Amino acid sequence: MPPTERFLPLKTQWFHIMLCLADGEQHGYAIMQEVLERTDGKIRLWPASLYGSLKRLIAADLIEESDARPAPQLDDARRRYYKLTPHGRRVLKAECDRLQDLVRALRRKLART
Amino acid sequence: MSWASRAYRRVARAFPHEFTMVYGADMAQLGDDVIDDIAKREGLAGLLRMLADVVLRLAIEYLVELRGDVRYALRALRQSPGFALVGILSTGIGMGLTTTVYASKWQIISRQLPVAHPDRLVMPDKPVSYHHVEAYRQENRIFAGVAAFEPGVAFSVRFTEDESGKPQRIFGQLVSPDYFSVLGVRAQAGRVFSASEDHPGDAPAIVVSDRFWRARLGAASDVVGRALRINEQLVTIVGVAPRDFDGVLPINPSELFVPITVRRAVAPELADDVLHRSDARQFLALARLAPGVAVDVAEGVLATVNRRLAAEDTSLRVRGDTVRRVPLVAAGGMVPLPRDVKPLISAFFAALMGLIMTIACMNLGSMLVARGANRRREFAIRLAVGASRFRLVRQLMAEGVVLSLLGGVLGFALAYLLIALKMKYAAPSAQPIVSAIKPGWSAAWFAFGLALVCGCGFSLAPALRATRADVTPALKDGSGLQLPGHRRLGLRNLLMVAQLTGSLALLMITGFLVLGLSQSGQVETRFDPRDAQLLALDPARDGYAPHRSVAFFERLPDRLRGIAGVRFVALAAQPPFAVEDEDATVPVNSDGGAGGARIQASVKKDVVGSGFFAALEEPMLAGREFTAEDERLPDSTRVLPVILNGSAAAALFTSGNAVGGRLRDGARTYEVVGVVRDLKNGLQVIPSLMYLPLRQVAFTTPPAGGITVIVRGDPSVIRAVQREIESQDPSLTVFDVRSLAEYLERSRAAERYALDTYAAIGVFSLVLAAIGLAGVTAYAAAQRRKEIGIRVALGARTEQVLFLVLREGLALVSVGTVLGLLGAVGMARVMAALTDTFARALRVGTGDPRLVFGAPLLLAGLALLASYVPARRATRIAPLSALRSQ
Repeated sequence: MPPTERFLPLKTQWFHIMLCLADGEQHGYAIMQEVLERTDGKIRLWPASLYGSLKRLIAADLIEESDARPAPQLDDARRRYYKLTPHGRRVLKAECDRLQDLVRALRRKLART
Repeated sequence: MSWASRAYRRVARAFPHEFTMVYGADMAQLGDDVIDDIAKREGLAGLLRMLADVVLRLAIEYLVELRGDVRYALRALRQSPGFALVGILSTGIGMGLTTTVYASKWQIISRQLPVAHPDRLVMPDKPVSYHHVEAYRQENRIFAGVAAFEPGVAFSVRFTEDESGKPQRIFGQLVSPDYFSVLGVRAQAGRVFSASEDHPGDAPAIVVSDRFWRARLGAASDVVGRALRINEQLVTIVGVAPRDFDGVLPINPSELFVPITVRRAVAPELADDVLHRSDARQFLALARLAPGVAVDVAEGVLATVNRRLAAEDTSLRVRGDTVRRVPLVAAGGMVPLPRDVKPLISAFFAALMGLIMTIACMNLGSMLVARGANRRREFAIRLAVGASRFRLVRQLMAEGVVLSLLGGVLGFALAYLLIALKMKYAAPSAQPIVSAIKPGWSAAWFAFGLALVCGCGFSLAPALRATRADVTPALKDGSGLQLPGHRRLGLRNLLMVAQLTGSLALLMITGFLVLGLSQSGQVETRFDPRDAQLLALDPARDGYAPHRSVAFFERLPDRLRGIAGVRFVALAAQPPFAVEDEDATVPVNSDGGAGGARIQASVKKDVVGSGFFAALEEPMLAGREFTAEDERLPDSTRVLPVILNGSAAAALFTSGNAVGGRLRDGARTYEVVGVVRDLKNGLQVIPSLMYLPLRQVAFTTPPAGGITVIVRGDPSVIRAVQREIESQDPSLTVFDVRSLAEYLERSRAAERYALDTYAAIGVFSLVLAAIGLAGVTAYAAAQRRKEIGIRVALGARTEQVLFLVLREGLALVSVGTVLGLLGAVGMARVMAALTDTFARALRVGTGDPRLVFGAPLLLAGLALLASYVPARRATRIAPLSALRSQ
């Protein structure tokens, strides 16, 4: 498995996809909607790019297809669901730490001026 | 919106098979789900973005797969290094040879001048007088412009900042002032000539080439207005011609462009008022056809003008003035090719390149076929578990393309080497000749494109074949049991026959040439050529007035004879056995037939001074050789003395003694004063030669190579000779100092280079064919392992098995041999029709039984050996293991 640092900083699209999967399984459509809402429509994952990214995330062992299904009334049987792998979770955590460090450093600078 | 949805789905379906299998349905579904939302929120721009995104992704996905294919191919090749090596070598050598042909021949034939509309430039094939050019200019409905120029003029150039330095001999053109405007060429600095330069006697202004400016003036920015001394006369540089422009006929690159209006001291060619004499036919007429005018119309009009001029002054008429059309050659290329010949030559070289490449790629192709067959099981498994056939084909093709690209790199390096060698062994010539164009970007692109096309082309069929979707038998059996007669005309056999045919044809052709060249490429001298020293002088270009030149050469031989160790001294217009001046052949008439009947024969002219044959230790077979009196004969002499060689004497005087006989050509009458034996002259066996005396006229306007001084004596005398000349006038330029041995060596180096190249091509194709055949036979034997095993188990004897395997190879070799012989004969005809050198070599070579019988036998022998080895191995197949293994 490639080391965690190799993926940092995470590409914008990867970051948003992994962020969506942080609290559970999602399918492509839901990921797209969530990102759109979270960024107030600023970032739209176009369908082809989304699946291209999903393919690469799987190849990098950051996410995987999920067998577990949500409650039947919410499930859309045609869709594939994705979830973070343990490795993916570690990478996301590392990215979070990295961003925190950055923000902290930035705050300190701004506070001094 | 429905259009966007349709377009999106269509693109989504085109994604690689592996991608579509997993994400295809989801991606299409997601597109449908969001398209309304996108249209609502972002309108048309949003829909277009979505489509752009899917198209871009499509490209990326395929590129990623391509990268994977290439990586896979490299790994596969690393695993079978023998296959990779043979593949790279065979395509590499093939591409090297093809790229060499491209750079040295094709580019020279097809490259156009860097001028406006080079295809509209034409030129009569013979020189004309300036009077003619002026008359052509009047035909302004036919020609947009007509300029006069004289190519290959030597200038002795001295750079003014270096007054003490020796002058350098540099070649250029004498041009009429409208030369550049007819070409449509502007100066990159300064100006070109203006029409006002058309007044004789104006201040000498010259234009220099980009090459001259960079190499000799260090690309100085203040070049315009600089002064130079040309033939000791001061001239001013008014402009620099554009980059890559070396004048018309750039096969002999021109560095200086001097207007024909300069004083004769600058250019001795312009002496005797040649601009106003209609008998001074020394200019080439460069014409630009007016828009919409066809070449044959122009040819007719020029003939009419010529007839009119000839009628005005009948005394000046020469052969060809009364023809109905003046042949025009294309003047916009590197070499002046007659219009109808160019497609023929182009086709020939294209065919030659194609043939070499086909042979090389056939090998690659048949190796890939065999390799694919061995991996059928692997492919069957992959197909069975869901790989797409397209994907497998791409992967196999990637192997072929990677091989051939690696071969392309090798080939380009090889071409570079071959061309460097070719330049090194270029035949000596008075004026520099572009014999090959350095393989630059265009050749690199050519090699790359060739590699790509050949790689794709020759791996497609094997890949399709290997992945044919008959999964079940392949899985069950490993390889199909081949029945006798099965697919007799299969792809593999077709490839093999084509390869045998091509390589035999190539071998025969090169063999003909090698034999022909080596049999005719001998120079015979009666003495050690190291004991004859050559040097050249051209005082007219060192600023000598005519009478001073004449006086200098009158005294020179006697002065040199006074030096200790010098045995003979002679002057000549070119070195002995020179290979230059192909076009000095003229028809002459004699009354030497039986009973005074008229005989016409073509003879080549050569110009030699007194004592020339004595210096070469050639006794006269009859008569005498030229004397000092012959050299002093004025230009107006009605009957010039000439010496014939044996062939010319025999051809022109069948009835007996040639000495005392009279000859006539278009211009003059001659009297034969002597006969010498034929001097063999390398490949250029000139059957009939007529020697004219080197008269004083030649001293004032020497030929391009200057006047050659031949000094017989051992190599040490040359220093003393140079010192003696320097003591007479230190400002004289002595050039081309070498021994006759060195000169001959250089002359033959080109032939030897050609021989080596041809021999290499022949051997290469033979080896390739043998490798290919061995591979194919081994493959066929492997395929029939099971059958052979059964036969051995049933009691087949060794020789029966041997014959079984060899039979197929034998049939292929026989068909290939017959076709190859036919191909060789056909190609020899075409080549002989195209160039004289080939024709001569082929005439000698084709009759040789060693080749006519030897080459097919050699190939057949090698082919049999190549198929015998795998066949022999097949006889050792143990029936049990063969049956069990599959």
